[in-house]
Amino acid sequence: MQQAQKPLQTAATPAHGPSESRDSTTVEAPPKQVAVAMDRLSNAARLIADIRLGADRLLEALFAAAQPHQSTKPLHLILKEEASMRQHLQDLRTIGRQLEDSGVLNESLRSRSNSWGLHMPLVCPDGAVVAYAWKRQLAGQAGASAVDRTRLALKAFTDQKRRFFPHLDDGACTESVSKKHHSSQVLEVSHEEELNEHKSLLDFLSHLEKEVPNLKVFTYERLDWLKRAYSLLSSADESIIESSIGHTFHSSNNLRQGTVGIVAAEKVAIIELSFPSVFRAIVSLHPAGSPDPDAVAFFSPDEGGSYVHSRGFSVYHVFRHITEHAALALQHFLGLRTATVLHSLLHWICSYETLFSKVCSKCGRLLSMDTQSALLLPPVHRPYHNFFGKKISSSTQQSSSTKDSSTDETGAYHVGCFPEEA
Amino acid sequence: MTIKWVLHWQPNAGTTVNSQILNEVSQCVESINGVKEGRWKATLTFYKPIIREQVSAAEFPREFLGITLPEQPNKYYFVIRGQKIVLEAEQNIQAIMEKLQSYKTRVALNFEGFQYQLGDFQLRVGKVVPMQSESLRGIVMEMEYLPLSSLEKSRKMLEEFFDIWQEALSKRSLPGHFLHIEPNFTEFGLSDGYTSQHTAVQYATIMAQLIATAQAVQAVRN
Repeated sequence: MQQAQKPLQTAATPAHGPSESRDSTTVEAPPKQVAVAMDRLSNAARLIADIRLGADRLLEALFAAAQPHQSTKPLHLILKEEASMRQHLQDLRTIGRQLEDSGVLNESLRSRSNSWGLHMPLVCPDGAVVAYAWKRQLAGQAGASAVDRTRLALKAFTDQKRRFFPHLDDGACTESVSKKHHSSQVLEVSHEEELNEHKSLLDFLSHLEKEVPNLKVFTYERLDWLKRAYSLLSSADESIIESSIGHTFHSSNNLRQGTVGIVAAEKVAIIELSFPSVFRAIVSLHPAGSPDPDAVAFFSPDEGGSYVHSRGFSVYHVFRHITEHAALALQHFLGLRTATVLHSLLHWICSYETLFSKVCSKCGRLLSMDTQSALLLPPVHRPYHNFFGKKISSSTQQSSSTKDSSTDETGAYHVGCFPEEA
Repeated sequence: MTIKWVLHWQPNAGTTVNSQILNEVSQCVESINGVKEGRWKATLTFYKPIIREQVSAAEFPREFLGITLPEQPNKYYFVIRGQKIVLEAEQNIQAIMEKLQSYKTRVALNFEGFQYQLGDFQLRVGKVVPMQSESLRGIVMEMEYLPLSSLEKSRKMLEEFFDIWQEALSKRSLPGHFLHIEPNFTEFGLSDGYTSQHTAVQYATIMAQLIATAQAVQAVRN
């Protein structure tokens, strides 16, 4: 600190401002301001160190007080520490105010013209003090100091924790492990039937296709998807012919369904869910063959081309909105950490079959003007909290009427009508 | 192809259609955040058979229409409503007809106006004028929903959009309203997937209404 002050003061012209007791920075020359600011920063650092020590001492006193042989010594210690802590904090507040006024904690003085080429020291958001707010130094110092500080902070914290709360260390581990066991047991009990029923990904997908009418499921290896996306471009016109000639569509569908078996289970990376004439959803799995989805996107059934993939966006606003909402839903399902992420996600996607026919559960209309985007949209939000996929074992026994009522339970909402809790 | 509803303006009894109404309609589209994109034009021609020999006129179809559409510049559509026939042909069929001297034009109409974009919807507002004159004979609108191509799946969406549109328009207290008549596409041999042939059939269907309107205009003028 002394070395920094000397060259600055020798470079100063005789325009020595008033003494340090006057805090008006407008009268002091820049070098003096810089020196004063550096002084204050070092004082602040000293105070912070004192406060840290005080906190340590308080913890020690509490620790000692918890020991079996009680005496008044810890009590005295605590009272003494409390008084000195209060003083330190008060001083820190004063210095902080001074620093704020002199512009050290923000960049308000950067643009001052008569700064003689000197800049006020800047306290970066991560706590590093940069004497000269040059951009390169800023970046370098902030980065390096952030790493160091984090390491030191972590070390200090773990030391204290180990010292004052030794029982927590082991307890924390066993506690979390037992929690995991419990939750996984619950999972196993409730999903045992379902997990047993579809042992493999392909079984699950063919079961899904049978369970949900109008749904077509296709699987692809990762590199095969591009071919399919391009073929969608050209088949956009043919799809009309396909749908009118029921027989050939079925037979070509059988061919495609055959690919569900042809693509080896461990290579399945892309799942395409298609409700003809409603939408097409692309789900990608990572790693290939595992039941872990990592992205999902919705498209119009007529869209095709290289932008149609699980991280792409449709050209139509309605499907863009659904894709964004689906990203949130996927994060939610992944965050639940159950074994049935893919199961829940695919069933949730299937709830969009009624996208263009089901009215909003809040306002009762199909189309609504979304105020944010000034677009007319159908209900594009489907709730994903507390979403339970339909029980597959009971689907064969359900009559069609109960099936309809179960789909009504999921509800649909416009962007503006979506309740926050759902 | 995207789904389209073709609507026509039905003036109230005793009133006629004029350009003031057209301006109001265009303003209404812009008031619901429609963004003007460009112009569009379609044509419709009534053909009359050229009878040379001793053939009775009753053998020939009464309403034989030829339609051009802006989204298919290379095609020409024929519709015979009486027999529920719609045909898509290449543009040069008109030259062939000229050469054959089998039919001649009785009446030709232009549908032209501006196109607006509202998110995933596209609206076209157009006036109906005879080919040779500038007098306004009617107003048509096209309502299109771009993401879908199935008539059945998009029906509810377009119905609601039509309701929203009617509501917005009713605030302007215009002497008339837009009507949507859905022709029976299956009678024409058309399927659920929408095509330009569907559009041609819709235009042919509203012709009867437009003629009635135009005749009313004539009657008022006289």
